[in-house]
Amino acid sequence: MPDWQELVRRRLLGLAVDSTWQEEVHSELAAHLEEAFEAFRSDGLSDHEAVQRTLALSGDWRDLQRKIDSAGNGKDTMTNRVKQLWLPGLLTFTLSMVSMELAQKLGPAPHILSLDKGTPVLMFYTAWLYVLPLAGAIGAYLAKRAGGSLRMVLLSSIFPVLPFAVVFMVAIPVGLAIGHALMPVVYLTMAIGWVFAPGVALLAGGLLVKLVSSRVSTSR
Amino acid sequence: MIGAGIKRGTAELAVLSVLQDGPLHGYELARRIEQQTNGALRFTLAALYPMLYRMEQQRWIRGSWEISANGRKRRCYRLTPAGKKKLSPLQREWAELFRALQRLTKVAHA
Repeated sequence: MPDWQELVRRRLLGLAVDSTWQEEVHSELAAHLEEAFEAFRSDGLSDHEAVQRTLALSGDWRDLQRKIDSAGNGKDTMTNRVKQLWLPGLLTFTLSMVSMELAQKLGPAPHILSLDKGTPVLMFYTAWLYVLPLAGAIGAYLAKRAGGSLRMVLLSSIFPVLPFAVVFMVAIPVGLAIGHALMPVVYLTMAIGWVFAPGVALLAGGLLVKLVSSRVSTSR
Repeated sequence: MIGAGIKRGTAELAVLSVLQDGPLHGYELARRIEQQTNGALRFTLAALYPMLYRMEQQRWIRGSWEISANGRKRRCYRLTPAGKKKLSPLQREWAELFRALQRLTKVAHA
């Protein structure tokens, strides 16, 4: 009797679904072929005939692979997007907001920088900025552990600043369109305080995780 | 033999109908459908499993690994409440289609 598991594995080489599901698909199809083969044998067919009849049940393997890829990727996109972006990203966001609250209530007074004659000013909660790399690293680590790509890992780490970035991307052109003289300076100040500075801190944590994981996988 | 286009349309109905009687693994499911349709509906692996995976995503059926009586590990599929809900309108639609075709062919013969 052929090794059905091995046969399925060879025929479906390069199946583009995650490894756990790939193993399940191999086992399931092999079990189907094995049962069919045994049924043909118990009908009185020779080993050779039973193998031929069983293989005829498979249909076009390339078609099967394409359809499983298509069905599997539909499934994976849903679950992987949640595991690789939304969950790590929301956790990073929560950590970032909680640490901001704590820094405001319990931390040292904010560091104030004046850009132009005291108005507008930049307020940096340095304690918060020190914690952000850790939040970014946790998000990146979770995204990486869920099998996320580099893009997903980095997006998860900077997730908390993304909503602010979108707001500023919309607000700056609108502000310029209105033509208010102070608008560009005000928006630049706010963008530095809410997007760039925390974004760099979060990204530092994400990049550190990426660097460490690359080194670990290279040393293996 | 029934043509491929009609088969595609009826395959989901066949799977849901057979699973109404209880959970089955892939091979047994294909065998039951073939027997109950006198060989008119036959599934290759390439036709059966992608469809089962799609139906599972749509939550009409649920697959889980079980150990069969002979000690083998098999993935068994069972109908979900959503699948049961889907089955009734599908049965009605197909019954209506067959009645319409019957009326049509009677008229054509008359």
